[in-house]
Formats: sequence, C-alpha cells, structure tokens
Amino acid sequence: MPQYVLMLLEDESWEKQSKDEMKRAYAAINAWVDDLKKKGLMKGGEELQSKRTATTVRRNNGAVSVTEGPFIESKEHVGGFMMIEVPDLDAAIAIAKSWPGGDVEVRPIVVH
Amino acid sequence: MSKYAFLFIDDGVDYQGSPTPEQQKVYADIFKWFETNGSKITDGGAELQPTRTATTIRKGTGKVIVVDGPFIEAKESVGGFSIFELPDKAAAVALAKTWPGYGIEIRPIVEGEGR
Repeated sequence: MPQYVLMLLEDESWEKQSKDEMKRAYAAINAWVDDLKKKGLMKGGEELQSKRTATTVRRNNGAVSVTEGPFIESKEHVGGFMMIEVPDLDAAIAIAKSWPGGDVEVRPIVVH
Repeated sequence: MSKYAFLFIDDGVDYQGSPTPEQQKVYADIFKWFETNGSKITDGGAELQPTRTATTIRKGTGKVIVVDGPFIEAKESVGGFSIFELPDKAAAVALAKTWPGYGIEIRPIVEGEGR
C-alpha cells in the first residue's frame, strides 16, 4: 500500500491558545492518533518544536550559510508530520480531513 | 542526547526527469551521506514526491476545502525529512553543513507529552 506524509500546518493561533484549550486540543489529537494506530494505518509521526527554534543551513555555489529561523517565513508553517499507509490519495485526504488540528498538506512518499 | 528533525529543502529543480552528471553526483553523494550518518537516524522519515503531487486540506472557515498544490507556493519546499539523535544543536548544525544537497531546516522534536 502506498504511504503518504501528512504535513500538519499551524499558524500563530496554535501557541496563543489557553492552557485549557491546548489540553483539549492535545486530547483530541491523541485520540485521533490512537484510532489510526488501532486501525494499523499509522506509520510514525513527530511533533516539531516552535518555528522559533528553527535553524536553516543552505549551500549556495559551494558556500554554506547558517541562518536562524525556518527556511520560509509565512503565516503557516510545518508543525509536525504523520506518515500513513492507505490504499490511495482519496483515503489519505479523508484522514487529513479528520485531523482535529488545522490545515494539512498531503504528499506521497518516494518509494525506492 | 536530543532529537532533531532535518527538513530537507527542495530547491525547486526537477531531478526526476533527466539529471545532469552534476545532479547525479549530488544524488550519489547524498546516498553516501545517509550511509555515513545512518547510525544517528532514529526515524528514517521519508522522501516526498514533488510539490506538484501535493494536496492541501483547508479548514479555515468551518468548511473543509481540498485544493491541489502545496500549502505555500514558493521556490523552496520540503522535500523530505529524517529524525536524528544528536548531542546538541551545534552538532545538528555541524552535521547539516556536511549535507551534499541544497539545504536543511533543523527543528528540535517535541519529546514526551506535547508542548
């Protein structure tokens, strides 16, 4: 079965939540993850620390530069990843729709 | 030791078509890099297909919308990721500097229960 990565997006509203809201959000997320694990669809995932912790290393014409911050400054950024194994893109989209957090970018994985 | 996500940055050049000898060398160097540093990887992560295969699910206004394309249109995008276990951020930056490809965004991972 093909695998897809769900890039879980977040904007500044995530960190502006109250402690109670954050707790409820995590409870919903944990329940969602447990459900996918039970169904055997979850192949792994990670939550990234805030974009303020990002460091970007780039190589341009042989010279390497190190800058603080994410590689792209935008309203939204990647806050975490989930890898899922499902029959097709439609199934991946259905799971992304059920994600209790914010927006999601779905990308198929390269199979070597 | 701490876990760091390496977000491999895709520079928007299509390597899937017919790679030049230079691009082939970069690919070979990347393969070697993973062989050399594989023992530090705790989660192999994934190489993503190009952004033209992306689908984005938007939930902004209560109504869920599905659109073709990545969440942001830009020259650079996320091309893949791996999780490394390293002593500290300095070690992560030093390792990222040896990456034969275009670039890496380093982000520490949330370990344990949420932020």
